[in-house]
Amino acid sequence: MSNSLTNGDGDLLRLISRGDEAAFLAFYRRYQGQVYRFALQMSGQVEIAEEVTQDVFMVVMGSARKYDPARGSIAAYLYGVARNFVLRRLEQERPYLTVLDDPDSEYADIAADNPDALAGLTRNERIESLRRAVLTLPPAYREVVVLCDLHELDYNEAATALDCAIGTIRSRLHRARALLAEKMRAEERCAV
Amino acid sequence: MNDNDSKLLKGLRALAADGPREAPVCVEDRLLGELRRRSHARRRNRWLGVATAAIAAGVLMMLWVPTEPAVPAPRMAPIAVNTVQSPQTPPKAAIQPPAYERGAEVAINFYPLPDADELPPIESATIVRVQLPMSSLRLMGLPVSEDRAAEFIQADMLLGQDGLARGVRFVQ
Repeated sequence: MSNSLTNGDGDLLRLISRGDEAAFLAFYRRYQGQVYRFALQMSGQVEIAEEVTQDVFMVVMGSARKYDPARGSIAAYLYGVARNFVLRRLEQERPYLTVLDDPDSEYADIAADNPDALAGLTRNERIESLRRAVLTLPPAYREVVVLCDLHELDYNEAATALDCAIGTIRSRLHRARALLAEKMRAEERCAV
Repeated sequence: MNDNDSKLLKGLRALAADGPREAPVCVEDRLLGELRRRSHARRRNRWLGVATAAIAAGVLMMLWVPTEPAVPAPRMAPIAVNTVQSPQTPPKAAIQPPAYERGAEVAINFYPLPDADELPPIESATIVRVQLPMSSLRLMGLPVSEDRAAEFIQADMLLGQDGLARGVRFVQ
C-alpha cells in the first residue's frame, strides 16, 4: 500500500468531496483490497469484512475533506477507520465467536482427540491452521500481526493506524509472535 | 532468529499471500448507489438553497420601504448664465457629476462565492438582481459599520446553467 499521499490521492479526495463518481471509484479500487483483507483477517468472517469495507468507504465518501495528510498516510488512516469498525463489530458479535476465542472449543479439540489429525498437513492446511491461530489472538495482538506481518506496514505507520506509540507496536508484535509460535508448536506436537 | 521464528514468519508470509485480494463486487455496487443518492440529495439541497434565497430576496424587495432620503438631483452648471456673461470666455462645460452621483449603476466584477470554484464551469449564465443586507458585504471581506449593516443593497447574482450561484456583485 502507498505510504504517502501520492499518485493523486489528494486530487481524488478533493473530487470525492464534490461527489465525483469516477474519482470515488478510482480511490475505492485502489484501496478496497487492503481494507477488505484487513477486516477479513481481523474478523475471520466474510460478512463482517464486507460491511466494514462498506463502512470505511462511506466515511471517505462523507468526510474526504477532513483527512489531514499531516497526521499520517492515507493507508494508515483507512486502516485506522477499518480497525475501529472491526473492533465494534467483534464486540457486538462476541457471544457468537466462542468457537475461535475459546481454547476449549471444537478447534482445540481436534488435535487433542485425534493426535494424527495434523500430521501430513498440506500447505493449505498449514496456512489455515495459522489463520486460525491468528484469529485466536486477543484483538490488540491480532491487529499488529495483521498490519505488520500480513500487510507489511512499518512500525510508524502501524502506530499511526492504531493510534499508539511505536514502542507499543514493537512490544505487542513481539508478544503476538511469541503467542503464535507457541500455538503452532502446540499444534505440531499434537500432530506428531 | 531461531528456527521456529523463521518458520512462523514464513508461514505468515504464506498467509498474507493467501485468501481473497478483493472485496466482492456487491460492495462496490452498494457504495456507488449510496454515492449517487448523496449526490442527488446534494443537488436538491443546492437548488432548494438557491430557490429559498431567491424567494427571500423577492419578499424583501416587496416589503422593503426605503428609509434613505431620495438621491438629490444632480447638480448641473447653469449653462445659460455662462452665455450671458462674457462671450470671450469659453463656456464652462456642464459639470458632470460622477456616475455614482447620477444614480447610474456602477458595474463591478463578480466576486466568486465560497465553494463556487468547486462547481462545474459556467456554460451559460443568468444574472438575477436581488436585495441583500449590507452585512453580506462582510462575506466579501469588505468592512461594514454596525449602524449600516441592516441596510439593504442591490446585488446581481450570477447563476450558472445548473441554477447554482457562482458569484455576486453589488450595484450602487
